[in-house]
Amino acid sequence: MNKFVKECRREWKRLRVPDAVANEMAADLAADLEEADAEGASIEDVLGSSAFDPRSFAAAWAAERGVTQPSPATGKPARGSIPLATIVAAAIALIGAAIVILTTTSAHGVAAVPSRPALPAPPQILEPHGHVPAVDAPTLGLLLLVMGVIGIVTTLVWILRTRAGSRPGPLAQ
Amino acid sequence: MAAAERRTQMLRGVLDLCLLAVMDEGPAYGYEMTKRLRARGLSIVGEGSIYPLLARLERDGLVETYRTASNDGPPRKYYHASCDGKRTLADGVSEWRSTRDAVDAVLGLLEPEVQP
Repeated sequence: MNKFVKECRREWKRLRVPDAVANEMAADLAADLEEADAEGASIEDVLGSSAFDPRSFAAAWAAERGVTQPSPATGKPARGSIPLATIVAAAIALIGAAIVILTTTSAHGVAAVPSRPALPAPPQILEPHGHVPAVDAPTLGLLLLVMGVIGIVTTLVWILRTRAGSRPGPLAQ
Repeated sequence: MAAAERRTQMLRGVLDLCLLAVMDEGPAYGYEMTKRLRARGLSIVGEGSIYPLLARLERDGLVETYRTASNDGPPRKYYHASCDGKRTLADGVSEWRSTRDAVDAVLGLLEPEVQP
């Protein structure tokens, strides 16, 4: 079977197109491509630019047939969830950046003040139950900043991959 | 905008009518329609496959299909326009002609000079 048809079948399987429909589309396509080949025409003569993107071609065809079943793992999320995830990640990054900047600035400000005689350290209060390790503000800020940036990058990569995987052919819109 | 891209954009709005028109000559399978269109100079059809569009026409009830054995090959799926499809073709041809005439009235008489 033609390599292009094999790629299409793989995509239809991924999209959970019923076997009967996938077999029918594959048979029609294979027959047309074989006829074109026998006449000396290339696959590009039959499919144009779609010849270079079997996944998009197969997905567009299945979608127009109305047989695409998005699986729970690959289904699209709700329309508002992507912008919301991006906003949350950006907010976390901003908060982290603000903490880092403020704490760094104040630390420098303290350093510029003339030194005073050291005061005796306050007595430590011992907690009888449990102990929560203290995290200083710059570390917390840096942590939030990194988490936010990772969130933004992950969301963007996901969006790009989703768009690339569902792009139909130029005339199939 | 490149010339090929402009042609693709213009064709996008009427390719369904072109397919219905070549089907009106007689039932045809996918590649046969591509050849009929190419014989009339529409080789640009290759810039986007007709298969998804044929599926849409079938889903919209504008074409009907049947599968039959061909003379020298495997069984093929033949398409022909339904009553709704023929009505859509007639309306579409009328719309196309009025649009073409209006555009011709603007662009048809121009003889643009291209500066070197």
